Amino acid sequence: MDHVPSDLLLMLLADARLPVAGHTQSAGLEGAVQHGLTGADVPLYISARLATTVRVEAGTAVVALHHLTHALPLEPVVAAWAARTPSHALRRASRMQGRALSRLTTRLWPDEEPVRRVSGLDGCPRAVALAGAAAAAGLEAVALARLVGYDDVQTVASASLKLLPLDPAETTAWVHGALPAVAGAAAALAGLTDPRDIPATAAPQTEVWAQAHAHSTRRLFSA
Amino acid sequence: MPDLSPTRGLRLGVCGPVGTGKSSLIALLCRELAGRMSLAVVTNDIYTDEDARFLRASGVLAPERIRAVETGACPHTAIRDDITANLLTVEELEEEFAPDLVLIESGGDNLTATFSPALVDTQVFVLDIAGGGDVARKGGPGIERADLLVINKTDLAPHVGVDRDRMVADAEAARDGRTVIPLSRTDLDSVAALTAWVTAEVVRHRAGDLVPTDPGPMAAHTHGHTHDHDHDHPAA
Ligand SMILES: Nc1nc2c(ncn2[C@@H]2O[C@H](COP(=O)(O)OP(=O)(O)OP(=O)(O)O)[C@@H](O)[C@H]2O)c(=O)[nH]1
Ligand SMILES: [Mg+2]
Repeated sequence: MDHVPSDLLLMLLADARLPVAGHTQSAGLEGAVQHGLTGADVPLYISARLATTVRVEAGTAVVALHHLTHALPLEPVVAAWAARTPSHALRRASRMQGRALSRLTTRLWPDEEPVRRVSGLDGCPRAVALAGAAAAAGLEAVALARLVGYDDVQTVASASLKLLPLDPAETTAWVHGALPAVAGAAAALAGLTDPRDIPATAAPQTEVWAQAHAHSTRRLFSA
Repeated sequence: MPDLSPTRGLRLGVCGPVGTGKSSLIALLCRELAGRMSLAVVTNDIYTDEDARFLRASGVLAPERIRAVETGACPHTAIRDDITANLLTVEELEEEFAPDLVLIESGGDNLTATFSPALVDTQVFVLDIAGGGDVARKGGPGIERADLLVINKTDLAPHVGVDRDRMVADAEAARDGRTVIPLSRTDLDSVAALTAWVTAEVVRHRAGDLVPTDPGPMAAHTHGHTHDHDHDHPAA
């Protein structure tokens, strides 16, 4: 294929229209709302995720990208991610999303070694699958980390339109307002290469909500 | 990539508005067919696993063969544009149980929701006779062009003032000869007609003769416009 500028590939991967079952995800928002979170709290919820869960996810993605581009094994990255994601429900949801993403990237980049390695990984989490896509697309670590943060914020914002409906210009203003924090987190994490350095910043409250959510019978979202 | 492997079983979609009897029809099919073939079920629900729980509770199939897919309040998206969550679940069931038939229930939606042919090989649209005799005439992609239209709960017709035969005739007219089955769980002949249709689809799929077709969303293909694709027209 002719060379494709990496910003176009980044747009492709960040697009909500990417068929990876994104509409089934709320980034934990539904579990939080079931426990009393209100519309006014959502911007705080977004910042809290950027300081906690998102750092685990983005750190994992960045380290996985390094391992993919340096012929290092992925298993220690997956193990480090799992150790930092105590909720079984969240690990399960991430692995489901990883499969969805692998399914797509295998179609887009069938001959790319990183994509093949990722799709051959049993129970590949989303962050690692995303690293496979980033490697195939030639994205820089910092772009990958931004993608992880941006996607998390957008997932919360769009799920909030289903759960706590309000003017979508308002939720987009939240996303816009969170961009400096996304950029800051990405800059701080982009240089990671060692699985031991992935931040261990899971948020216990989010994890507890996620566990309870997975066992609730009337839910719209998978996680 | 759609899995075109002829070795996998038939994927049958069941869609139609809320409460028309989709889950009941699937339970019925499981009861009738479980002795003859290996089955699995995927449900899509507004409230996630209501339907899966109903089916598990009905005891017609081992609970691990019934899986629920979350739709994020987008039942239409989950069966038509981003079918990924459904495909992954169907593939998972196929890997574990190699079923001859996977039944996929859509979340109850409006008249326009139909399955993508990339998700199901064949699909049934279910209407409720108590929804009124006019519904069949109103049409829509599912009513007009699903592989099968079921007009369900015909036992209720006298109680809701609907002329069953008239509604069936209207549906047949709207469907241009495609199959219509009036169904009631209390009418054993109608149940037999339904199972015969499904069994024939399984056989047709195995033989490689079943080509999945999309019922919607466009109006039915009519001649008289300019074609930008190839057709074999008989010489005038
Ligand atoms: N009288 C009569 N009632 C029926 C028949 N089939 C189903 N029902 C009833 O119709 C109601 C709805 O049936 P379901 O099978 O839950 O309908 P559904 O289409 O799956 O509903 P949603 O998943 O909520 O969209 C239930 O109360 C069923 O018992 C029938 O043949 N006759
Ligand atoms: Mg149902």
